[in-house]
Amino acid sequence: MSGGMGFKLSHLQSLLLFAVLISIAFGFLSRRRPIDRLKYIVWSLFLFLLIGVGIGWAMYPFSR
Amino acid sequence: MADETAAPAAPAQDSRREGIALAVGVAGWIVPGLGHALQKMWGRAAATFLTVGVLVILGTGMRGNVFSSSGNDAFDALGFLADLGTGTFYLAARSLESNGADVSHAGGDYGTRFLATAGVLNLLSALHAYEAARGRKA
Repeated sequence: MSGGMGFKLSHLQSLLLFAVLISIAFGFLSRRRPIDRLKYIVWSLFLFLLIGVGIGWAMYPFSR
Repeated sequence: MADETAAPAAPAQDSRREGIALAVGVAGWIVPGLGHALQKMWGRAAATFLTVGVLVILGTGMRGNVFSSSGNDAFDALGFLADLGTGTFYLAARSLESNGADVSHAGGDYGTRFLATAGVLNLLSALHAYEAARGRKA
């Protein structure tokens, strides 16, 4: 890519980045205490990944 | 008599507080995190600013579609509204996308979602700042 930024990420990398960023934002916005935030971020990240990978596998039979 | 004189002061104070809360909400929309920063909620301000900023940088870097107001259909209009949610970062996204969008690859499609998510997330954060300024538990 010329004259600008260029990020080439795989599906999994994109999913991971998205899940991490949104989980952090949700954790900070919805909880006040640091320990509660951390728990919320970890739990939210886990669910993002579980549901994302789950939907990916659910679509697998229709991908070919 | 004391009650009669005290009663009108409360609505005026409420109205003033509502105005300040609205200004805080708008500030949070224009500059991500500013609504929380004005209320000294530094953690939330930093988290919002960084999250929205990184999503916008990643979205444009992945050549996502930054929608403009001259859209052809309802989906373009919705995309524009979502992108506009990033406030001033929308202008940054427009200037960063020097090579234009490329949604023919999965990366570009992800980038479009990243940008839209950044906008909606910032609107959510601005609403949160507005509610906090109104005195709701946040």
